[in-house]
Amino acid sequence: MESLQRINVKFYLEDPESLSAQEAFRVFNSWIPTTPDEVLIDVADYSHLDEGPLTLLVGHEANYSLDNHSAELGLLYSRKQPADGDLTERLASAFKAALTACRRLEEEPSLAGKVKFRSGDVFLVANDRLNATNDEASENTLRAALDPVLAQLFAGTEYAVERDPAPELRLNLRIRCQTNADTATLLDNLAA
Amino acid sequence: MGATSSWKERLAGQMSAELADEIDTFETQIHLRKQGKMEEKLFAETRLRRGVYGQRYDNGQRYDGTQTQQLLFPEHQTKGPDTVWHAPGMMRIKIPFGGLTAEQMEVLADVAEEYSEEILHVTTRQDFQIHFIHLEDTPDLMRRLASVGITTREACGNSVRNVTACPLSGVCRTETFDVTPYAQALMRFLLGHPDCQDFGRKFKIAFSGCQHEACGLTNMHDLGGIAVVKTIDGEEKRGFKLYVGGGLGAVPHQAQLFDEFVPAEELLPIAQAIARVFARLGEKKNRNRARIKFLVAKLGIEEFRRLVLEERAILPEDPSWTAFLDDLHATDEQPLKPGQALNGATASEGFTEWHRTNVYAQRQEGYAVATVVLPLGDITSSQLRTLADISRRYVRETVRTTVEQNLVLRWVSETDLPHLYDELVSLGLAESGAGTIADVTACPGTDTCKLGIASSRGLAAELRNRLSEENGQLNDAIEALRIKISGCFNSCGQHHAADIGFYGNSRKINGITVPHFQVVLGGQWRENAGSFGLATGAVPSKNIPEVVTRLAQHFVAERTDEETFKDFITRIGKREVKSMLEDLTQVPSHEENSWYYQDWGDTREFTMDDLGKGECAGEVVSITTMEIAAAEREVFEAQVAFDEGQLETAWQGALNAMLRSARALVKEQFYDVPETPEVVVAEFRARFYDSELFSPKFANYLFAAHQNPPSELTKVQVHRFIEEAQLFIEGAYTCYDKIAVPAGATA
Repeated sequence: MESLQRINVKFYLEDPESLSAQEAFRVFNSWIPTTPDEVLIDVADYSHLDEGPLTLLVGHEANYSLDNHSAELGLLYSRKQPADGDLTERLASAFKAALTACRRLEEEPSLAGKVKFRSGDVFLVANDRLNATNDEASENTLRAALDPVLAQLFAGTEYAVERDPAPELRLNLRIRCQTNADTATLLDNLAA
Repeated sequence: MGATSSWKERLAGQMSAELADEIDTFETQIHLRKQGKMEEKLFAETRLRRGVYGQRYDNGQRYDGTQTQQLLFPEHQTKGPDTVWHAPGMMRIKIPFGGLTAEQMEVLADVAEEYSEEILHVTTRQDFQIHFIHLEDTPDLMRRLASVGITTREACGNSVRNVTACPLSGVCRTETFDVTPYAQALMRFLLGHPDCQDFGRKFKIAFSGCQHEACGLTNMHDLGGIAVVKTIDGEEKRGFKLYVGGGLGAVPHQAQLFDEFVPAEELLPIAQAIARVFARLGEKKNRNRARIKFLVAKLGIEEFRRLVLEERAILPEDPSWTAFLDDLHATDEQPLKPGQALNGATASEGFTEWHRTNVYAQRQEGYAVATVVLPLGDITSSQLRTLADISRRYVRETVRTTVEQNLVLRWVSETDLPHLYDELVSLGLAESGAGTIADVTACPGTDTCKLGIASSRGLAAELRNRLSEENGQLNDAIEALRIKISGCFNSCGQHHAADIGFYGNSRKINGITVPHFQVVLGGQWRENAGSFGLATGAVPSKNIPEVVTRLAQHFVAERTDEETFKDFITRIGKREVKSMLEDLTQVPSHEENSWYYQDWGDTREFTMDDLGKGECAGEVVSITTMEIAAAEREVFEAQVAFDEGQLETAWQGALNAMLRSARALVKEQFYDVPETPEVVVAEFRARFYDSELFSPKFANYLFAAHQNPPSELTKVQVHRFIEEAQLFIEGAYTCYDKIAVPAGATA
């Protein structure tokens, strides 16, 4: 588990109608030449599908997508390349990257402030069946590295974590927290 | 938590030794290339032959709508000419005759989730493709697929590609016999076959059970077999009407009849003989004329046939030519449930329409084939995984991909169809209109292909949206038409064989490039792609939907009786078609309407600047060079074994490397040289040592090791021997430079 590098973090849209696949396509395209700190490559349109990544911003280090898995629309960050630090640091880094992208969408002028993310509802996937099987032992190991990140992220507010144990799925955790903080505050919490 | 440190370790023993070795070899080659120890073109062809393909923007550049930007990948190593190491690429996964098991579908879903973007794409040749793959993930990806019997070997490059077959084989009402076991046997026989390693271009094979349906589209394949039965001496014999030299591409050729009846036991040897003639005489220098269709056209079918039969006569006997005939039922499928008629069972809304267009009654009473329409050929990992589960509960995992980029479930008991439909509705895969005008086929085009000029998928999505709205209300004659779209003239979307086909091109309007599609009309899908359409003019991309509407309206209004679209187009003539579409060819100025200057599904201004160098043609690397390079890798592995203290393995590896490169040289003059070390050494001595073509000093390293192998190995001795093997390989390269016939000079 310690070698887990492929980490997915998803934050859900408050209003699924607030961001269309076409809008995401246009905005993601505009990010490619204006994101100096990572290599963003192209945008793929899968809006003809009912679920999965409706709009995908392909990057070298990570992908970003407007994801509709389980018919719940949100921003999915998928880390692909190895990141620095121990597992806790890598998890924190993935949360930070996902929240930064959420914040960027919320502040995108062409979207006129209509996009908001639910900050107390996060889906985490260990995207590596070799290093993280979907079982209780792996969950416990992951939680040991994750809990310090969540404590910091939610500034001590309690949260609940639930795992879908279906064996065909990757190790996954749905994290719910009764927080009123917005994405900017969560980012500040992580930076603190 | 995972208990093993690598997929190699976890999956050890779960795939054939040959496949495991093949993947290990590729992993070593990746390391060698990364260290600069393998030449760029050689590595490119090596990875292509493993299905690892380039993708758009992998030259490290992308047009952002105003200017071309550099994509600043962290390293500047390349994995082929103009192909940046870290740029994501495509993985093509061969699915012979489209046949899939539930377990295979689950593993495909897993690897798409972990290494790609959770999307799998079915191609027009029954393959799967997954995109945005990192090169260093490919060995593990291959291992996971290999563990369930899937290979990516020879999915790209100058090799025998996926062997396709009619997805209804075995259940079709009109087939002569089930072609599945023959397609499988030929695929297995030719995979990695030495006679198929020196082609100038790719080689595609298809099988059909019927002459008159679309089936395997044998007329547009390099080699096509249609099932026929012939009575010989009062006994019914199975065989194939064999076609050769068909192909689409920029210059489409209808296949020519090679033989009215090739008996089943001759199928494999004749295919082998054809491969040998193609490898020996096919063009290698001019990539645009290197497919076998050009060789057949150049020689004429009679001369080509004569050469093949001459080659057949001298082929060394091979038991595998006929071994499969003893087990022809190995690919037979069994139903999961008893076949029962639908008998008017109540069903959900939409079922009737879905049943009308997506269900085919099998020749086995009470059973049906249900087509799952995949929009643009795409399916998500989670959908595919659920479909695998469905395939276990409704049928006995009898699933196939189709060349129309869909999936079919075979052997569905008709009484189960309403329940199956409901499950597909929940899954978002219950779209009706399979095989209709709305079921548009498209190649990847500018979405991911380096050669794409215009957005074939963008246009296909637009047409699908418009035509799907009219589903069930279209005139029957219109509904039955097929639309196929390619992003460029290379025809991966099979536009030539469609009633209405399009391929991407561009035109300059007042100095600004505008995406266009060439309109190709009157192709024939049935009769195994019986005839190809004719280009009638380029129309701006944004006007193509109106082209379809107008053609459909004219066809309905002016059609006579049961006239087909092809006959209609032939009757009214190109001139009338051109005049019908004339106003649609006009493009407003950029100031007037800049919408025309963007492609479908893109927000950037259109450009041709993203066009890259295609990898469809592979790299021309001779089989001798490939073999010497493989020997060099063996020396590398011997060095690794030496470092790990495995002296015996290291010594043997180094000797094998010498023998391999010696045999590669001998094959230049004596093609069928056996692998026996004694013969290789003797032939090498006679042909290269005695003639002084090979450095005598280096040759003696081999002779000494072969004649007097040490009884006990010391570190010093093995170390020296590995160095000698490396020098021997250098000598092989030098010798080959002296004797090689320049590419293209053999024809």
